[in-house]
Amino acid sequence: MSRDESKLLYAESHEWVDLAEEDGKAVGTIGLSGFALEQLNDLVYMELPELGRELTAGEEFGEVESVKAVSPLYSPVSGKVVAVHEDLPESLEKLNDDPYDFGWIVKVEVSDTNSVESLLDHAAYQKQCAEAG
Amino acid sequence: MMNTRTVSGASFGLTIGRVISLATAGAAENMAIDQAILDSVTRTGVPVLRFYQWAQPTLSLGYFQRLAARSAHAQSEPVGCVRRTTGGGAIVHDRELTYSLTIPVPAGAAGPRSVLYQQTHASIADALADFGIHAVPFCRTGVEPRLESQNSQFLCFQRRTAEDLIVSGYKVLGSAQRKSRSAVLQHGSLLLCTSLYAPQLPGINDLLSTPVTAEQLVPQIVENLSESLGVEWREGSLSNQEIIDADQICRERFDSSLWTARR
Repeated sequence: MSRDESKLLYAESHEWVDLAEEDGKAVGTIGLSGFALEQLNDLVYMELPELGRELTAGEEFGEVESVKAVSPLYSPVSGKVVAVHEDLPESLEKLNDDPYDFGWIVKVEVSDTNSVESLLDHAAYQKQCAEAG
Repeated sequence: MMNTRTVSGASFGLTIGRVISLATAGAAENMAIDQAILDSVTRTGVPVLRFYQWAQPTLSLGYFQRLAARSAHAQSEPVGCVRRTTGGGAIVHDRELTYSLTIPVPAGAAGPRSVLYQQTHASIADALADFGIHAVPFCRTGVEPRLESQNSQFLCFQRRTAEDLIVSGYKVLGSAQRKSRSAVLQHGSLLLCTSLYAPQLPGINDLLSTPVTAEQLVPQIVENLSESLGVEWREGSLSNQEIIDADQICRERFDSSLWTARR
């Protein structure tokens, strides 16, 4: 089933998160928004975090390179990394076509649901993107 | 000579920035100072422009390059190696002028700051024009970029991206970036003369009859970057905090073999 981008939450730094309950635990699936991927223009490298790493909301969890520019990825939520999309760094050319399904990067077991409150809904995120040009 | 200073883009209005005079340092120290400045601009929002050269010929790897890829370029094997935090290919830093420009970026800005590549390179092209050197961005040479030239070449100066400056068919200036949450560091190398350790790459003085020095170019570049970015550059130096940070970053990262060999 395809993810509906209008139902996702977004960080100001362009990561999306899809919150769902898995085995009674809150799990956030995280990726990069279509807008960000368009701006990044042809990713050539991506570095992923290790499984089990504890992240705090706003903390760097990976890095990408495009047009000789290295940019950090920031976790929108606090919690433990429970899954990593290991195939993604070798398939970056597919990301732009499918940022919300194939393009998931990590899954995080959310430890602090308060960290979600500062995230943007789709409408607010769209407004931010429009202002960023 | 065509004026290339026509790029519209980032402008700070009437902002004061700090320019740090041309100096020579070791490879790890140079990279650590740039990182300390990025951290500082992230905190303060005050732009910093810096010019430097390298105490010893050094190979710098792009952030994502593998150390083992050095074997692809035998001529540079005798020189030391440092890993940058910026992207792109490897550079033999020897007889060159290096600049770093670090500016604040708006919250929520995504992706590489293409305009910054354009503005900086246009300012350097105009400075070169004052010395009779006709440099143009690769995207305006009419040469089609070859896919294999983008990332498969080990050396940055054997790759081509749109804003690289080209003189007589040779790439003489390439730059790369590193973003933080609210700032971007862009540094780049202008080849002045061919290095013994990269003999296939001519510098501007190998393509000219009258040599130009880094000292001659810097004031002109500063003036052009003042105009194009809308920044009044004032002579300054590293702050005490930046010196302390750079020293720590140098020891923990750029001078560490673990960092260099991390890929």
